[in-house]
Order: sequence, then structure tokens, then C-alpha cells
Amino acid sequence: MLLNRDDWYETSRDLEWTLSYVDPEVAFPARWSGTDGIPADAWQAWDEPFRVSYRDYVRIQREKESGVKAVSNALVRAGIYEKLDPAHVAASHLHMGTTCMVEHMAVTMQSRFCRFAPTPKWRNLGVFGMLDETRHTQLDLRFSHDLLKADPRFDWAQKAFHTNEWGVLAVKNFFDDIMLNADCVEAALATSLTVEHGFTNIQFVALAADAMAAGDINWSNLLSSIQTDEARHAQQGFPTLQVLIEHDPERAQQALDVAFWRSTRLFQTLTGPAMDYYTPLEQRKMSFKEFMLEWIVNHHERILEDYGLKKPWYWDQFLHSLENGHHAMHIGTWFWRPTLFWKPNAGVSKDERAWLNEKYPTWEDNWGVLWDEIIENVNHDRMPQAFPETLPSLCNLTQLPLGSAMSRHDLAPHQLVYGGRLYSFDSAISQWCFEQDPERYAGHQTVVDRFIGGQIVPPDLGGGLQWMGLTPDVMGDDVYGYAWAKDYIAAAPAAPAAPVA
Amino acid sequence: MALFPITGRFVGDFVPHLVAVDTDDTMDQVAEKVAVHSVGRRVARPAGFNGYEVLFNGELLAPGATLGSVMAGHEVLPLQWFDVRFRTGVPADA
Repeated sequence: MLLNRDDWYETSRDLEWTLSYVDPEVAFPARWSGTDGIPADAWQAWDEPFRVSYRDYVRIQREKESGVKAVSNALVRAGIYEKLDPAHVAASHLHMGTTCMVEHMAVTMQSRFCRFAPTPKWRNLGVFGMLDETRHTQLDLRFSHDLLKADPRFDWAQKAFHTNEWGVLAVKNFFDDIMLNADCVEAALATSLTVEHGFTNIQFVALAADAMAAGDINWSNLLSSIQTDEARHAQQGFPTLQVLIEHDPERAQQALDVAFWRSTRLFQTLTGPAMDYYTPLEQRKMSFKEFMLEWIVNHHERILEDYGLKKPWYWDQFLHSLENGHHAMHIGTWFWRPTLFWKPNAGVSKDERAWLNEKYPTWEDNWGVLWDEIIENVNHDRMPQAFPETLPSLCNLTQLPLGSAMSRHDLAPHQLVYGGRLYSFDSAISQWCFEQDPERYAGHQTVVDRFIGGQIVPPDLGGGLQWMGLTPDVMGDDVYGYAWAKDYIAAAPAAPAAPVA
Repeated sequence: MALFPITGRFVGDFVPHLVAVDTDDTMDQVAEKVAVHSVGRRVARPAGFNGYEVLFNGELLAPGATLGSVMAGHEVLPLQWFDVRFRTGVPADA
């Protein structure tokens, strides 16, 4: 007679060996496990609510895969992609290029949990996480491969992380840090708890809803299917935080505060422009700020309160950044559009501008005046003035442009000298993150550092684009060919009425 | 003379730029090299335009001072931040 699952589950997921032929510190070095300062028996309290067996996992994942594949096959056959709004499509190019290989990096992180996590329960859940992330990578690659014939930009699902495209380098820098370079404890707090349990809601719930409204059922379905896995394996964060709180609360607070800010900056880049500018106006559900407040801010505040932690010292600055950071990243990416592998929508037609002003009361003064000068140049055919001639200065922590965290009125130098070198930061918060562990970040080179270091030849925009791997077939330009700017051309004065005979 | 990279911010724009200047450049020349990336691109040139001025750590620099002379009096490292803004006050040729 087969045993019920409850009869064997605890034994199967908590099967541990008492090491005798090898020193436990050699088998589970603290630099990989992250257990410094935490007694070994503290990990016995580590527990998670998803009681998953391998048999159940395979059955459920098989059903999910069948569902995604059936929908995808039907929609590709029906040629739905070709009917989508091109501004929305850019969001899927951006997502695939910047996310697919992050999923693949997450396989490595989860495999580290499988091998080095300090409790068998965690190692057991890490196995499912590793399989999840393998599935997500394959889903993205399959989706992109199916659409490659429609647009070469889908090649960037695989290619992007093998290029020097500046935005991809920023994404890679962040995930190299919190996935590949972090021990199990820090990776669980930064990636599982902060990114996966919190911020992926923006990409996989909000963007999925926008994609569904835009008619992109295939992509929406893919995002939603991925999110069901994230919700499970993200649970590795909570019990890890619980153990750390009891033995090293300062470390927990610092790890979460750094990860929360770095995640904010990343999603201001990846998701903010897609939600507030690329999604067609009539299909927008919530603004990026509204979604952040409802799904991320409230959620994070609750976690901090539940675990007895404080709000980060920078909370007020973070809320101010929510008003501005993604608008900065949007105008910046649009203006430096030849450096992108997708075609951005300016998203500032008069109707769209009215929506932005309604959602963001400071938008006109902070951003509208800058767009006005761009619009003047576009409408007077001064196109060279609507393109850049140099690089923006970049942050040595986030790799994003200085000035892209707040508004133009807040722009101020945040620079420090460390080891004889001058480092620049996009905000006081990013500088604080650097100061928590300078050796970790010092020495990394931004695109600007590489440019002045002679790595980009010839040292001009053309050389830079070539160095970034941007070819004419994918290089970014305004997705609507600047048609939106005609909104601002003053109507010609009415002709005088013909004299009555 | 030597090329020298600075972080040049034009006051009113949202982003500073990587700007290559020369140690023999006067502050008026530095200002032009910084302003060209902002003024007329995202920052409108005001009516009654009266040139630019350069600030370093909040200190207004003399228009004819060279970058080299500024470096002699201050620690200036590669990518140091300089502010440029529209000149206020009486036009120079008034």
C-alpha cells in the first residue's frame, strides 16, 4: 500500500547527513552559504509553506506547459503578433532581451541553494527553483524563436547578454551581484524576497495585464505562467529572513535596504517606460507609480513591520524617486534611442501628456519642458538636435545615468574618492549602497569608464554603437516615426472668407 | 595641453554628460562644450541670451581662466563635476 504524502514528506525534504569524512565548513563554506554568525541548529527552524513533492511538481508543471504551448501555437498560427500595436511590441522586445538570460542566471543561483544552502529543506526547494528557472528561460527562448521571422529583435533574447549594450550591462551588473556573486542568505533576501516576491509583480502581473489588454495574449499568458512559479520559489526568502533576524538583524536590514533600492532602479528602467509610455493609452490599467504603491510599497512596508525591521533611511527619497525615476529613464532612453535594440514610443502626444499630468502632478515642470524642446526640433526638422553627440555620465553603482533617479531640480553631484579614483552616483542612496561595501563595487567599469579607457574604438557614437553590438536592423528609433509630434504643430490661420459677390 | 574628461551638467537639464575638454580651454570654452549637449536639445535658449558661466563646487570661475589654472588651485580628478548655466546679470559687452 502506498503511503500518504504526509507520511513521508517531512522525511524526504529534511533528509540530512551527519558529516564525518569531511569538515562541515569545507562542505558548506560560509562564503557560499552565508551562515557566518548563525548557529548551525538555527536552520532547523527554516520552513516554507509550499509542500511540494517532485511527483506533484512534475504533474503541475506539465499541465502549465501544455497550456502555454497550446495557446502559443494557436496564436502564432493566427498571426496575432502582426496585428499588435508597435509601441506595445517594443515592450516585449525589451523584456525578452533583458530578462531571458536573467532567468538563466537564476538557474545558477538556485543550483547554489541546492548545493550550499544550510538546511536540506531549503536545498530541496532549491531543486524546484532551479527547474522553474530552466523552464522560464526555455519559455522566453521558445516565444522569441517563434517570432524571430517577424522581427530580428527577438534574437536579442539570447544575444543581448553577449553584447555590451549599455542597458543590458546595467541589468547584468545587478544580477551578477545579487545572484551569481551573493551567498545563499544574501541571494535569498535580495533575489527571492525583494526581486521575486516583490518587484516581479510589476513585470509579471501588471505588464501581463497590460499585454492582455493590448491583445498580446501569447506574451501575457507566458508572463502569468512564469509568475505562478515565482510565487512558490520566492518563498525561500521569508524563512531565511526569519533566521537572520534572530541572529543578525543589522545584516538583514542592510541587505534588504540595498536590494530594495537597486531593484527600484532596475524596474524604473525595465517596466516604468513600458507601462507609462509604450502601452497604448486606452489600454493602460494603472500608472507605474500607482502599481508600485499598491503592489510593492505596501507589500515591502508590511514585510518590514512583520519582521521588526525599520523602513530604509531613504524612504522619503524613494517615494520622490517614484514620481520621477522612470520618467528620467524614459526620456533618456528615447533620446539615446540609437543605443537601444527596441523602438521606443515617445508617448507624449497631447492626450498621453494629459494622462501623464493627471497621474504625476509635477510631470510638466520636471519633464514636459524638456520634451517641448525636443518637439520643437522634430517639428522644425532639426533632427541632429534631437539626437545625442556624447554619452550621459553613469553611476558607478547602478550603471544608469546620473540624474535618472530623481528630477532635474534635484540633480546634484554625488561623488567620492576611493582608492584614488573618483566614483559618481545617481543619488545619495546609491552612494550609500557603495559605501556599505566599497570593495564589492570598486573597480567595476561603466560604459563611460570603458570609453575614456580607450576600449571603444573609434571613440565616437558610431564606434560606441558598434561596440554595443547594435546593427541597423535592430537599432532603436521612434516607433511611430515622430507622427505624435504633429499634435503640436500650430494650426495654420484660417483663410479669410471669400468676399460675397 | 591635454584632453581631460569631465562630468558636465547644464543647469536645468536632467542629466550630466561625459564631456572631453582641454586643459588649455578657458571656462568660456568649457561652457560651450558642455552646453552644446543640452541647450537647443532639451533646454531652451532664453530670450536675451547672455552667454554661459561655469561653477566648480558652487564657486563661480572666471570666464578666461583655463582648466589648467583651475586644476592648479583645486583637486580635479577625471570625471569631476562642473556646472554650467546661463550667465546672469549685465551682458559682457554692455
